[in-house]
Amino acid sequence: MQPWLYAAVAAGVVEGLALLVQMGLLAWLIHSALVLARPMAELLPLLLALLAAAGVRAVAQYARDSLAQLAGSRVRQRVRRQLLGYWERQGPVRLAGHSSASLANQWVEQVEALDGYFARYLPQQWLALLVPVLFLLAVFWLDWLAALFLLISAPLIPLFMALIGMRAERISQQHVLEAGRLAGHFLDRVRHLTTLQLFGQVPAAIDSVAQAAERYRVVNMRTLRIAFLSSAVLEFFASVAIAVVAMYIGFGLLGYISYGPSAELTLFSGLFILLLAPEFFQPLRSLAQHYHDRAAALGAAAVLSRCGELVPAAGPVATPPSGAAEVVSLHGVSLGYPGRGRVLHEVQLQVRRGEVLALIGASGSGKSSLLHCLAGFIDVDAGQISLFGQPPGALPVAWLGQRPFLIQGSWADNLRLTAPQADATAMRAALQQVGLGELLAQQSQGLDTPLGEGGRGLSGGQAQRLALARVWLSEAPLVLLDEPTASLDPDSEAEVVAALARLAASGRTLIMATHQPALMALAGRRVALHNGRLVDA
Amino acid sequence: MRELLPWLKLLDEQRRRLLLGALLMAFTLLSAVGLLGLSGWFITATGLTALAWAAGQRVMFDVYVPGGGIRFFALSRTLSRYAERVVNHDTVLRLLATLRSRHFAGLARLDAATLGRLRAAQWLNRLTADIDTLDSLYLRLLAPPVVALAGVLVVCALVGIFHLPLAAALAAALLVLLAGLTWGMGRWCQRLSAGQVGQLDELRLRSIEQLQGLAELRAAGTLGGHQQRLLASSEQMLDEQLTLQRRVALAQALTGLLLMASVLAALWMALQWQQAGLLSGPVAVMLALALLALGEGLTVLPAAFARFGATLAAARRLNEQVALGSRLAEPARPRDVPDRLDIHWQQVSVRHAGIAGLDLQLEAGTRLALIGRSGCGKSTLAALLARQLDPDAGEVRVAGVTLTELALADWHARIAYLTQQAALLHDSVAANLLLGKADASDAELWQVLEAVGLADLVESLPRGLDHWVGESGRQLSGGEGRRLALARVLLKGAPLVILDEPFSGLDQATRERVRQGIEPYLRGRTVLLLGHAPLLLPAADRVVYWRQLQ
Repeated sequence: MQPWLYAAVAAGVVEGLALLVQMGLLAWLIHSALVLARPMAELLPLLLALLAAAGVRAVAQYARDSLAQLAGSRVRQRVRRQLLGYWERQGPVRLAGHSSASLANQWVEQVEALDGYFARYLPQQWLALLVPVLFLLAVFWLDWLAALFLLISAPLIPLFMALIGMRAERISQQHVLEAGRLAGHFLDRVRHLTTLQLFGQVPAAIDSVAQAAERYRVVNMRTLRIAFLSSAVLEFFASVAIAVVAMYIGFGLLGYISYGPSAELTLFSGLFILLLAPEFFQPLRSLAQHYHDRAAALGAAAVLSRCGELVPAAGPVATPPSGAAEVVSLHGVSLGYPGRGRVLHEVQLQVRRGEVLALIGASGSGKSSLLHCLAGFIDVDAGQISLFGQPPGALPVAWLGQRPFLIQGSWADNLRLTAPQADATAMRAALQQVGLGELLAQQSQGLDTPLGEGGRGLSGGQAQRLALARVWLSEAPLVLLDEPTASLDPDSEAEVVAALARLAASGRTLIMATHQPALMALAGRRVALHNGRLVDA
Repeated sequence: MRELLPWLKLLDEQRRRLLLGALLMAFTLLSAVGLLGLSGWFITATGLTALAWAAGQRVMFDVYVPGGGIRFFALSRTLSRYAERVVNHDTVLRLLATLRSRHFAGLARLDAATLGRLRAAQWLNRLTADIDTLDSLYLRLLAPPVVALAGVLVVCALVGIFHLPLAAALAAALLVLLAGLTWGMGRWCQRLSAGQVGQLDELRLRSIEQLQGLAELRAAGTLGGHQQRLLASSEQMLDEQLTLQRRVALAQALTGLLLMASVLAALWMALQWQQAGLLSGPVAVMLALALLALGEGLTVLPAAFARFGATLAAARRLNEQVALGSRLAEPARPRDVPDRLDIHWQQVSVRHAGIAGLDLQLEAGTRLALIGRSGCGKSTLAALLARQLDPDAGEVRVAGVTLTELALADWHARIAYLTQQAALLHDSVAANLLLGKADASDAELWQVLEAVGLADLVESLPRGLDHWVGESGRQLSGGEGRRLALARVLLKGAPLVILDEPFSGLDQATRERVRQGIEPYLRGRTVLLLGHAPLLLPAADRVVYWRQLQ
């Protein structure tokens, strides 16, 4: 538990004490005026003391809330940092099975859901234990039989709540899962609205969205009904206890009860007990109100911790053979995916610094997987990879995938993604190299012109060339290209090939998976993959 | 405030459920007031009666009526609170489900160009978060202040029975407090809370981007810097949240203090009148405790109204979207689609694509290949034909009938169109294929997969046709995803087929195989093919180079 939470609990105890004093003074004020018939002017100090107690209580309450909220905010930031680290370790290949939307939903919404647990539930859990004990002691001092009523009803409450809570937890986990699925469902259907329109599937999609929302309501109501039930149990006990205490005191004052301490009751002690009875249950009621915070947080934590479990142990980093600083080498590299079998078999390959290598082979022959291993996105099952004497992932590598990765922002924002230091001159030069110089000249705000999402506003070829310009800007010695010209027409392709040739001439090492003859022609050497095995080309 | 009007109207549809919820809410508050007030009266009355008895006076005291009242309020408070919560939350979730599907339906009406101007990530937020934010409209912003107001008025009326000026003073003080907790709190936090939705939105967008660019950023070693920036925006958002939460905490603490002050003021006055013989002791205590019980209705207000700005902002964004309309007009009395699909692009101009006065014909039952470099505008011709947009000038005709005279749905039913960016749904292989033909048998699915050379691959997948295809089809390679999209289009069996770069990302051997495989699906249909070179397309009857058209 964080120090802020301890401080919050301490403030909460002070608040309880102030409340105790306040209620005692209130009962004494009434007793003095009605029973002792003291003139009101004499009671003025009492009134001032009462106001002071109320002031202390307000300050303590404010301190408790803000301290607990501080703790909640710290925790969320820490979990966000950990999740980012997890994404990084998982890498693009292992995350490919999850939709970005539901992962982002975890990072944003589900981490937010942790707040209630830390900022509200956790401190309240302590206060629900400490503050009622405080009040109970006071009541015990006033009248032990009334204290006994409260004492008997109190332990029944956690019992009932635990029973209800166990179910709530299971249901809430389902709730979190459903919310994530719903987010993915929406984003996917919305993103593909045009496709759905073309296939005449819009009415079906509307139905499916309505069904998803309805399912969400049903799951949500199930969680809520349980949460409400647990607080209703509490309220019931609290209300009944107040009623019983009120009746007991009333009858005791009238002298109808001949047994126990009731003969000692006065209007002061009776009123004091009555005022404390609801406050005795109040911390527990707040806890119940925050119970769905706990359920939501635990549900979110279960999903988040599943991420933690998946983190693979970092394998031992083999020391590459000495004298390897001038080559990229693979020794007996094998790789398999669950559900797809072996994709690479004992691959043996050496690429000298500055060499341009074309990796050819049919679709699905393992070309992309080989590139992923080289980039360090996946650890190989067997064998060794050394990039100029370093293990994969140790050195920056320039990467260009099959789909251009572009963000919402300006041309410059997109270029600086992998080269944060690049200045305008370098960016212009890079764009020139990939044949986008002319297009840039037409942009109204030059490099600061905004780009639409997924490169909208640029043709497929232009978008890919913009991503390629990024490769040009990076200083990485090794460039991995995964079918970089697949979507380009012959003219654009020729421009890109020329840019790549210039890149190769600058001393960089290029390894590219491709089908295009023009790119193959650029390569100094070709190797072919066939069913995951390297064959001569 | 006006932005809330359409949503208030929507609430009106559920008027009876909402009214029931509000009544239950009010009943809960009044039960709490009754329980504490009556208990206070009872204890004081018994205490004073006992004193009188001790002094030898003969006073009658009925313990059963107030006792029954106390028990009644104890039960009614519990039951009405539970019922109120279940009823209100169910109503609100019902409203949300309706809102979501209506909103999606509204989006689905829009044309491709308007859709393109919005971004998918923003929509996710609009469809879920914004609509979720609006749930606070009734449950947090409308019902609780009304119920609190009712509570204040009832308690003040109770005081008024015994002393009118005191009741008026109390009512004035409590109404000012109520205004501060609602209107004042809303104003004070409006900017901060309105900004929060945008911050969450931005955070979500940036994290999605980071996930999509994980490969490139990680390879380049710049991922760390991007993570730091993402964390910094998260930190900033959390800081502003803290400021907001502190204001709420302050308002709540002050509410408790001010309520206590008014309880004391009322009690002080009441005790003075009691000593002057104007009021009985039990009544004086009852009035004070009834006031104290109002706290339950007041302390929920600051947190709710701190989020008022967020609700307004969400409503404003959703309204903007509702105001969008499709730029494609639907004919009032659509004509039937002609049987012979002779296509004529007649002097069409599309300004943003640089197409001016272009003329082209495609005879029914033939195949036309249109060759040009990427970005030249040939895809725009296909989009015109599929009526994803209308030309700025000229028209597209089918056997003499202008496309705008046909119902969009009728026309789309005649077309199978493979777009350049055709993407796969985050769903199973089968579900993606069934988009093309909802009632296709498994045999038909396997047949079309065979045609595009994917049958072996899908067979080798652990769950076969039910295998889940990643976002944008990422668990398949680029070429495999492309072929699956092609299979989906072919399966539709529409008389007019448009294929935009159908073989991009395929190696030569696969290309040849697919070219032959899909031949039966193209036979006898009207086909428009778009590509960089005739070699990269299925065989055509006629080849037109873009240069020749301009």
